[in-house]
Amino acid sequence: MSSTLSISGLRVAVAGKEVLRGFDLTMRSGEVHVIMGPNGSGKSTLAHALAGHPGYQVLGGSVLLDDVELLTLSATDRVRAGLFLAMQQPMEVPGVRLVDVLEAAGVDRTDLVEHMADEARRVDLRPELLQRFVNVDLSGGERKRAEMVQFGILRPRFAILDEIDSGLDVDALGAVARRLASSTKEWGCGVLAITHFRRLLQELTPTKIHVVSGGRVVATGGPELSEVLERDGYEPFREPNPL
Amino acid sequence: MTTFADSARSFIDSRPDSDPRRQAWNLFESLGLPTTTDEVWRYAPLSELDLDGYTVPTAPTVAPESAFAAALGALAASVVRVVDGFLMDIGEPIDGVTVDLVPGLACLSGTEPLDRYASDAFALLNAALCPATVMVRVAANTVVDGPIVVVHTANTTASFPRTHLVLERGASATVVEYYEGGVDAMVVPVSEYLVGDNASLRLVTYQRLESSTWHVARTTGYLERDARLSQSVLGMGAHYNRSRNDADFRASGAENELRTTFFGSGGQVHDLRTHQFHRAGRTRSTLLSKGAVADTSRSVYTGLIEIEKGAKRTDARQTNHNLLLSPNAHADSVPNLDIRENDVVCAHASSVGPLDELQRWYLESRGVTRSDAERLMIQGFFLEMLDALPEALARLVEGDVATALHSIPVSA
Repeated sequence: MSSTLSISGLRVAVAGKEVLRGFDLTMRSGEVHVIMGPNGSGKSTLAHALAGHPGYQVLGGSVLLDDVELLTLSATDRVRAGLFLAMQQPMEVPGVRLVDVLEAAGVDRTDLVEHMADEARRVDLRPELLQRFVNVDLSGGERKRAEMVQFGILRPRFAILDEIDSGLDVDALGAVARRLASSTKEWGCGVLAITHFRRLLQELTPTKIHVVSGGRVVATGGPELSEVLERDGYEPFREPNPL
Repeated sequence: MTTFADSARSFIDSRPDSDPRRQAWNLFESLGLPTTTDEVWRYAPLSELDLDGYTVPTAPTVAPESAFAAALGALAASVVRVVDGFLMDIGEPIDGVTVDLVPGLACLSGTEPLDRYASDAFALLNAALCPATVMVRVAANTVVDGPIVVVHTANTTASFPRTHLVLERGASATVVEYYEGGVDAMVVPVSEYLVGDNASLRLVTYQRLESSTWHVARTTGYLERDARLSQSVLGMGAHYNRSRNDADFRASGAENELRTTFFGSGGQVHDLRTHQFHRAGRTRSTLLSKGAVADTSRSVYTGLIEIEKGAKRTDARQTNHNLLLSPNAHADSVPNLDIRENDVVCAHASSVGPLDELQRWYLESRGVTRSDAERLMIQGFFLEMLDALPEALARLVEGDVATALHSIPVSA
């Protein structure tokens, strides 16, 4: 079944400052959308706000997953509705094991440990690292891959990946990109990847690329847009500073 | 109506005139129960304590074994069973380990027990009313593989278990002291541990008494040269849970790692006290106390690090973290340092606050409900503490802690 994620007019403030100022984006199952943009343009704010981060205040707009309004749901219910965020900086949760987290999230415990190990191997992560307390004593790159393991087990309808490529070496990046690409076919996952780098796009062909500046989408195009950005940078797309 | 004092006297009168229990009882009677004006008791709900609600047992009752005690036993090399303070079963024989009863009140420190405990009303009660001291002795250079489990069951309203553990020179053992039972009861254990030269004791005290019970416990570890005591104290149960855990560093190179943890719910009070007394140089103490209070429960942690003049190159660290899970819960943290030597490293840190909001969000963002996220995090508070235990034991206690937390509504 094909689903649609539709973000419209989203306005979000952080610490009283409006960072997203009318963000629009619509995507469907199985598509890969990429968000690129300069630092401070609102990319991570988008990711955090969609996942219900307590430090972000939604001022207006709508995020529909098919006909379900996500913005009025708790963070938990957003994931359960099918939207997953792979974080840029996954938190350490001492004393808590991933297998217990996934079970509490509703995943069947039968074969879960093996399933986690399979997903770990797909992204070049040593499975035994997942037996530690969540993200404790994991390197930045290992945490990113642990996020991918959770992604593979939760099988969300739409996944936001906030700079999943940072902290990964070239080989790991390739493995992660292939994992994402295959998810679009395995269960028709819609992938929304926030990135600074074109490297991710070598193995993950985007349906669309969106350039974000000043808290909104200022340009949308096909894969060729990344070449333009590579050549000219963000300057031609930059919104005049609202302040 | 039979008063507590009547039942205590009939317990004591059945003993020979020379029994030091008489003197202990007289000392208790002249001292009386403490009051909250006494600084070390100021957090105890002493006005609720009516000794006449309790009767001193003169003989043990028959107590059924709980499923958890049975599971613990299945992991143990030997299970010593104590009911109402009476030794019922000395367990499987282990080479180099003896379990028996010591009739007197001797202190493992060698000091006169009634001097040592003269100002502690509850320890005096224990001295006066304990049936006998259960002594577990591990012979020199004996390495005991599996844990020795001491199951203390409180089956009547008052019990005064007294336990001594001696590890002779070079011995090594893991011992679990587990407390269960006790409906509307008072359980007052006194335990002493003597860890000889170069010996190593890994000790777990797990208290799971019923929530209507007063639990006033005191433990002391005496550490000889290069001795090592790693002690975990977990307090889940009791209405008033007081646990005083002291370490006495008697010779150089001794090491004590103490982890204490508790979970407070309902109107529980957890009152934790520690005293690390560094009398010798190159001794080391690491103390981590972590706990959580929900509902209207409260906790207090009072820790003293005392370093004697001449105890050079002592390293003493004390950390206390408290989780507040409800606006009506309360936690106090009172670290104290008394240092009479300059050449030492000494550190303490404490915090009191709610669950980390971002960690909770992280778990929620995986699809975990808020209440499950909180439960996992609180449970995690304990699991971190269990990390030091042998694997199978840690898993078993983890499971039990998880079950206990599941029955407790958590609301932040």
